[in-house]
Amino acid sequence: MKKQCTKYTLEEISRFIDNELPQDQHAALAKHHVHCPYCNQIVEQYQSITDVYKEHLNRIPLEIDTLKIKEKFGQTLKNSKKKSKGSMFGFFGKYIYLKLASITAIVMIGLYTFQGGFFDPSGPSAIVKSVDTDFASVMIIETQKEKHTIIWFSET
Amino acid sequence: MVHFIETIIKTISIFTGLSCFCLFTQPAFAKNQVLTDVKVIHASTGPAHIDPRLKGNISELKSVFKYTSYRLIKDQKMKLNFNQKGRVILPGKRTLVVIPSDMNGRRIRYQINIHRNNHPVFQTQVLLKNNCSITIGGPQFKNGTLLFNISGSLQ
Repeated sequence: MKKQCTKYTLEEISRFIDNELPQDQHAALAKHHVHCPYCNQIVEQYQSITDVYKEHLNRIPLEIDTLKIKEKFGQTLKNSKKKSKGSMFGFFGKYIYLKLASITAIVMIGLYTFQGGFFDPSGPSAIVKSVDTDFASVMIIETQKEKHTIIWFSET
Repeated sequence: MVHFIETIIKTISIFTGLSCFCLFTQPAFAKNQVLTDVKVIHASTGPAHIDPRLKGNISELKSVFKYTSYRLIKDQKMKLNFNQKGRVILPGKRTLVVIPSDMNGRRIRYQINIHRNNHPVFQTQVLLKNNCSITIGGPQFKNGTLLFNISGSLQ
Protein backbone atom coordinates (compact mmCIF):
# COMPACT_ATOMS: atom_id res chain seq x y z
CA MET A 1 0.00 0.00 0.00
CA LYS A 2 1.24 3.48 -0.89
CA LYS A 3 2.26 5.68 1.99
CA GLN A 4 -0.15 8.54 2.57
CA CYS A 5 1.33 11.96 1.81
CA THR A 6 0.12 15.00 3.73
CA LYS A 7 2.11 17.66 1.89
CA TYR A 8 -0.78 18.65 -0.34
CA THR A 9 -4.46 18.48 0.34
CA LEU A 10 -6.91 16.93 -2.10
CA GLU A 11 -8.28 20.36 -2.83
CA GLU A 12 -4.82 21.65 -3.78
CA ILE A 13 -4.31 18.69 -6.08
CA SER A 14 -7.66 19.32 -7.64
CA ARG A 15 -6.81 22.99 -8.20
CA PHE A 16 -3.46 21.87 -9.65
CA ILE A 17 -5.28 19.75 -12.21
CA ASP A 18 -7.52 22.69 -13.04
CA ASN A 19 -4.52 25.07 -13.30
CA GLU A 20 -5.91 27.20 -10.55
CA LEU A 21 -2.87 27.19 -8.27
CA PRO A 22 -0.40 30.07 -8.23
CA GLN A 23 2.45 29.48 -10.61
CA ASP A 24 5.10 28.66 -7.92
CA GLN A 25 2.74 26.28 -6.09
CA HIS A 26 1.83 24.68 -9.39
CA ALA A 27 5.49 24.13 -10.27
CA ALA A 28 6.26 22.76 -6.79
CA LEU A 29 3.35 20.27 -6.92
CA ALA A 30 4.32 19.28 -10.43
CA LYS A 31 7.84 18.43 -9.19
CA HIS A 32 6.47 16.68 -6.08
CA HIS A 33 3.87 14.32 -7.59
CA VAL A 34 6.46 12.86 -9.98
CA HIS A 35 8.35 11.47 -6.99
CA CYS A 36 5.41 10.88 -4.60
CA PRO A 37 3.44 7.76 -5.60
CA TYR A 38 0.52 8.71 -3.37
CA CYS A 39 0.09 12.21 -4.78
CA ASN A 40 0.80 10.93 -8.28
CA GLN A 41 -2.01 8.42 -7.99
CA ILE A 42 -4.43 11.15 -6.90
CA VAL A 43 -3.25 13.43 -9.67
CA GLU A 44 -3.79 10.67 -12.22
CA GLN A 45 -7.23 9.95 -10.86
CA TYR A 46 -8.22 13.60 -10.93
CA GLN A 47 -6.67 14.02 -14.32
CA SER A 48 -8.62 11.12 -15.78
CA ILE A 49 -11.86 12.52 -14.36
CA THR A 50 -11.04 15.93 -15.79
CA ASP A 51 -10.19 14.40 -19.17
CA VAL A 52 -13.51 12.59 -19.33
CA TYR A 53 -15.33 15.73 -18.32
CA LYS A 54 -13.46 17.83 -20.89
CA GLU A 55 -14.08 15.24 -23.56
CA HIS A 56 -17.77 15.32 -22.76
CA LEU A 57 -17.77 19.10 -22.86
CA ASN A 58 -15.96 19.20 -26.18
CA ARG A 59 -18.49 16.98 -27.84
CA ILE A 60 -20.55 18.76 -30.48
CA PRO A 61 -23.98 19.18 -28.99
CA LEU A 62 -26.87 17.55 -30.84
CA GLU A 63 -28.36 20.22 -32.97
CA ILE A 64 -32.13 20.53 -32.84
CA ASP A 65 -33.64 22.38 -35.73
CA THR A 66 -36.77 23.74 -34.10
CA LEU A 67 -38.05 25.16 -37.39
CA LYS A 68 -37.82 21.79 -39.06
CA ILE A 69 -39.52 20.14 -36.13
CA LYS A 70 -42.28 22.72 -36.18
CA GLU A 71 -42.74 22.18 -39.90
CA LYS A 72 -42.85 18.41 -39.49
CA PHE A 73 -45.27 18.65 -36.61
CA GLY A 74 -47.53 20.91 -38.63
CA GLN A 75 -47.48 18.49 -41.55
CA THR A 76 -48.30 15.53 -39.30
CA LEU A 77 -51.12 17.49 -37.72
CA LYS A 78 -52.54 18.30 -41.17
CA ASN A 79 -52.30 14.68 -42.27
CA SER A 80 -54.00 13.43 -39.12
CA LYS A 81 -56.78 15.99 -39.62
CA LYS A 82 -57.23 14.78 -43.20
CA LYS A 83 -57.27 11.20 -42.01
CA SER A 84 -59.80 11.91 -39.30
CA LYS A 85 -61.93 13.75 -41.84
CA GLY A 86 -61.58 10.71 -44.08
CA SER A 87 -62.74 8.35 -41.40
CA MET A 88 -65.61 10.60 -40.37
CA PHE A 89 -66.84 11.05 -43.89
CA GLY A 90 -64.97 8.06 -45.26
CA PHE A 91 -68.07 6.39 -46.46
CA PHE A 92 -69.26 9.56 -48.11
CA GLY A 93 -65.83 10.74 -49.24
CA LYS A 94 -64.89 9.73 -52.73
CA TYR A 95 -67.60 8.62 -55.16
CA ILE A 96 -70.29 9.96 -52.83
CA TYR A 97 -73.00 9.70 -55.49
CA LEU A 98 -72.20 6.08 -56.26
CA LYS A 99 -72.30 5.23 -52.58
CA LEU A 100 -75.57 7.06 -52.01
CA ALA A 101 -77.07 5.32 -55.03
CA SER A 102 -75.93 1.95 -53.72
CA ILE A 103 -77.42 2.63 -50.29
CA THR A 104 -80.71 3.75 -51.83
CA ALA A 105 -80.83 0.69 -54.07
CA ILE A 106 -80.22 -1.61 -51.12
CA VAL A 107 -82.95 0.12 -49.09
CA MET A 108 -85.41 -0.06 -51.98
CA ILE A 109 -84.73 -3.72 -52.70
CA GLY A 110 -85.07 -4.49 -49.00
CA LEU A 111 -88.38 -2.67 -48.72
CA TYR A 112 -89.80 -4.26 -51.84
CA THR A 113 -88.70 -7.65 -50.63
CA PHE A 114 -90.44 -7.10 -47.30
CA GLN A 115 -93.56 -5.95 -49.10
CA GLY A 116 -93.42 -9.17 -51.07
CA GLY A 117 -94.11 -7.56 -54.40
CA PHE A 118 -90.81 -7.23 -56.16
CA PHE A 119 -89.68 -10.83 -55.98
CA ASP A 120 -93.03 -12.51 -55.76
CA PRO A 121 -93.71 -13.73 -59.29
CA SER A 122 -94.23 -17.30 -58.16
CA GLY A 123 -97.03 -16.71 -55.65
CA PRO A 124 -100.59 -17.73 -56.43
CA SER A 125 -102.83 -15.18 -58.11
CA ALA A 126 -105.01 -15.22 -55.02
CA ILE A 127 -104.55 -16.45 -51.48
CA VAL A 128 -107.81 -17.82 -50.10
CA LYS A 129 -108.15 -16.66 -46.52
CA SER A 130 -111.57 -18.15 -45.76
CA VAL A 131 -114.48 -19.96 -47.39
CA ASP A 132 -117.94 -20.21 -45.91
CA THR A 133 -120.67 -22.11 -47.76
CA ASP A 134 -123.67 -24.33 -47.24
CA PHE A 135 -122.44 -26.70 -49.92
CA ALA A 136 -120.64 -29.88 -49.08
CA SER A 137 -117.67 -29.76 -51.40
CA VAL A 138 -115.27 -26.92 -52.09
CA MET A 139 -111.99 -27.24 -53.96
CA ILE A 140 -109.21 -24.73 -54.20
CA ILE A 141 -107.06 -25.29 -57.27
CA GLU A 142 -103.90 -23.57 -58.44
CA THR A 143 -102.93 -23.99 -62.08
CA GLN A 144 -99.40 -25.13 -62.77
CA LYS A 145 -98.35 -22.64 -65.40
CA GLU A 146 -99.54 -19.25 -64.24
CA LYS A 147 -100.57 -20.24 -60.71
CA HIS A 148 -104.07 -19.00 -61.32
CA THR A 149 -106.31 -19.65 -58.31
CA ILE A 150 -109.66 -21.37 -58.83
CA ILE A 151 -112.28 -21.97 -56.17
CA TRP A 152 -114.71 -24.66 -57.16
CA PHE A 153 -117.85 -25.50 -55.25
CA SER A 154 -120.62 -27.95 -56.05
CA GLU A 155 -124.22 -26.85 -55.55
CA THR A 156 -125.49 -30.40 -55.37
CA MET B 1 -64.16 10.70 -69.35
CA VAL B 2 -64.16 11.14 -65.57
CA HIS B 3 -66.66 13.98 -65.94
CA PHE B 4 -68.88 11.73 -68.06
CA ILE B 5 -68.83 8.97 -65.45
CA GLU B 6 -69.56 11.50 -62.71
CA THR B 7 -72.56 12.76 -64.68
CA ILE B 8 -73.88 9.22 -65.09
CA ILE B 9 -73.42 8.51 -61.39
CA LYS B 10 -75.18 11.77 -60.51
CA THR B 11 -78.08 10.91 -62.80
CA ILE B 12 -78.41 7.43 -61.31
CA SER B 13 -78.31 8.81 -57.78
CA ILE B 14 -80.95 11.44 -58.55
CA PHE B 15 -83.15 8.79 -60.14
CA THR B 16 -82.80 6.42 -57.22
CA GLY B 17 -83.38 9.28 -54.80
CA LEU B 18 -86.61 10.18 -56.54
CA SER B 19 -87.67 6.54 -56.62
CA CYS B 20 -86.94 6.28 -52.93
CA PHE B 21 -88.95 9.43 -52.28
CA CYS B 22 -91.89 7.97 -54.22
CA LEU B 23 -91.59 4.71 -52.32
CA PHE B 24 -91.58 6.36 -48.91
CA THR B 25 -94.36 8.78 -49.76
CA GLN B 26 -96.46 6.04 -51.35
CA PRO B 27 -98.82 5.76 -48.38
CA ALA B 28 -99.47 9.52 -48.55
CA PHE B 29 -100.53 9.31 -52.19
CA ALA B 30 -102.04 5.84 -51.86
CA LYS B 31 -104.29 4.69 -54.62
CA ASN B 32 -107.77 4.18 -53.22
CA GLN B 33 -109.77 2.80 -56.13
CA VAL B 34 -109.83 -0.73 -57.40
CA LEU B 35 -110.90 -1.48 -60.93
CA THR B 36 -112.76 -4.74 -60.52
CA ASP B 37 -113.68 -6.74 -63.60
CA VAL B 38 -116.13 -9.60 -63.25
CA LYS B 39 -116.50 -11.94 -66.22
CA VAL B 40 -119.38 -14.40 -66.07
CA ILE B 41 -118.55 -17.41 -68.21
CA HIS B 42 -120.77 -20.30 -69.17
CA ALA B 43 -118.67 -23.41 -69.50
CA SER B 44 -120.10 -26.59 -70.98
CA THR B 45 -119.18 -29.75 -72.82
CA GLY B 46 -121.11 -28.74 -75.90
CA PRO B 47 -119.67 -28.02 -79.34
CA ALA B 48 -116.19 -26.59 -79.06
CA HIS B 49 -116.28 -22.86 -78.84
CA ILE B 50 -114.15 -20.28 -77.13
CA ASP B 51 -115.38 -16.73 -76.94
CA PRO B 52 -112.73 -14.53 -78.57
CA ARG B 53 -113.01 -12.08 -75.62
CA LEU B 54 -111.87 -14.85 -73.30
CA LYS B 55 -108.75 -15.91 -75.13
CA GLY B 56 -106.47 -14.48 -72.46
CA ASN B 57 -108.22 -16.28 -69.61
CA ILE B 58 -109.17 -19.65 -70.99
CA SER B 59 -105.82 -21.39 -71.45
CA GLU B 60 -105.40 -21.77 -67.68
CA LEU B 61 -108.98 -22.98 -67.21
CA LYS B 62 -108.61 -25.50 -70.00
CA SER B 63 -105.66 -27.05 -68.19
CA VAL B 64 -107.97 -27.86 -65.25
CA PHE B 65 -111.51 -28.32 -66.61
CA LYS B 66 -112.91 -30.79 -69.12
CA TYR B 67 -115.22 -28.21 -70.75
CA THR B 68 -115.05 -27.64 -74.47
CA SER B 69 -117.21 -24.53 -74.72
CA TYR B 70 -116.59 -21.24 -72.97
CA ARG B 71 -119.02 -18.39 -73.60
CA LEU B 72 -118.85 -14.95 -72.03
CA ILE B 73 -122.28 -14.12 -70.67
CA LYS B 74 -121.44 -10.89 -68.92
CA ASP B 75 -118.46 -8.61 -68.45
CA GLN B 76 -118.91 -5.97 -65.78
CA LYS B 77 -116.20 -3.48 -64.89
CA MET B 78 -116.56 -1.48 -61.68
CA LYS B 79 -114.42 1.20 -60.15
CA LEU B 80 -114.80 0.52 -56.45
CA ASN B 81 -113.48 2.39 -53.47
CA PHE B 82 -112.31 0.31 -50.56
CA ASN B 83 -115.25 -1.18 -48.66
CA GLN B 84 -117.61 -0.26 -51.48
CA LYS B 85 -119.92 -3.06 -52.66
CA GLY B 86 -119.97 -4.06 -56.29
CA ARG B 87 -123.01 -6.08 -57.40
CA VAL B 88 -123.23 -8.31 -60.43
CA ILE B 89 -126.56 -9.90 -61.34
CA LEU B 90 -126.00 -13.51 -62.28
CA PRO B 91 -128.21 -15.97 -64.10
CA GLY B 92 -130.49 -18.16 -61.96
CA LYS B 93 -131.55 -15.48 -59.44
CA ARG B 94 -128.02 -15.25 -58.18
CA THR B 95 -126.07 -12.15 -57.23
CA LEU B 96 -122.35 -11.76 -56.85
CA VAL B 97 -121.13 -9.13 -54.39
CA VAL B 98 -117.47 -8.09 -54.41
CA ILE B 99 -115.98 -5.75 -51.82
CA PRO B 100 -112.34 -4.69 -51.94
CA SER B 101 -111.66 -4.07 -48.26
CA ASP B 102 -108.00 -3.12 -48.01
CA MET B 103 -104.48 -3.84 -49.18
CA ASN B 104 -102.26 -6.52 -47.76
CA GLY B 105 -98.79 -5.79 -49.09
CA ARG B 106 -99.17 -5.87 -52.87
CA ARG B 107 -102.44 -7.77 -52.71
CA ILE B 108 -106.02 -6.57 -52.60
CA ARG B 109 -108.21 -8.12 -49.95
CA TYR B 110 -111.58 -9.00 -51.46
CA GLN B 111 -114.71 -10.20 -49.77
CA ILE B 112 -116.70 -12.16 -52.37
CA ASN B 113 -120.25 -13.33 -51.68
CA ILE B 114 -122.70 -15.21 -53.87
CA HIS B 115 -126.36 -14.90 -52.99
CA ARG B 116 -129.24 -16.99 -54.33
CA ASN B 117 -132.75 -15.79 -53.71
CA ASN B 118 -131.28 -13.17 -51.37
CA HIS B 119 -129.69 -15.90 -49.29
CA PRO B 120 -125.88 -16.12 -49.03
CA VAL B 121 -124.74 -19.42 -50.43
CA PHE B 122 -121.04 -18.86 -50.75
CA GLN B 123 -118.67 -16.43 -49.05
CA THR B 124 -114.94 -16.17 -49.34
CA GLN B 125 -112.16 -13.80 -48.47
CA VAL B 126 -109.16 -13.73 -50.78
CA LEU B 127 -105.95 -11.77 -51.15
CA LEU B 128 -105.79 -11.09 -54.87
CA LYS B 129 -102.52 -10.13 -56.45
CA ASN B 130 -102.77 -6.72 -58.07
CA ASN B 131 -103.57 -7.03 -61.80
CA CYS B 132 -104.35 -10.74 -61.42
CA SER B 133 -107.55 -12.71 -61.28
CA ILE B 134 -109.28 -15.54 -59.48
CA THR B 135 -111.93 -17.87 -60.89
CA ILE B 136 -114.85 -19.08 -58.82
CA GLY B 137 -116.98 -21.77 -60.33
CA GLY B 138 -119.59 -24.30 -59.60
CA PRO B 139 -123.18 -23.08 -60.00
CA GLN B 140 -125.08 -25.16 -62.53
CA PHE B 141 -126.67 -23.34 -65.43
CA LYS B 142 -128.16 -24.56 -68.76
CA ASN B 143 -126.37 -27.94 -69.02
CA GLY B 144 -123.16 -26.36 -67.96
CA THR B 145 -121.47 -24.47 -65.19
CA LEU B 146 -121.01 -20.81 -64.38
CA LEU B 147 -117.49 -19.51 -63.85
CA PHE B 148 -116.81 -16.08 -62.40
CA ASN B 149 -113.47 -14.61 -63.30
CA ILE B 150 -112.76 -11.70 -60.96
CA SER B 151 -109.76 -9.49 -61.53
CA GLY B 152 -108.61 -6.47 -59.53
CA SER B 153 -106.36 -3.62 -60.45
CA LEU B 154 -105.37 -0.84 -58.13
CA GLN B 155 -106.05 2.58 -59.72
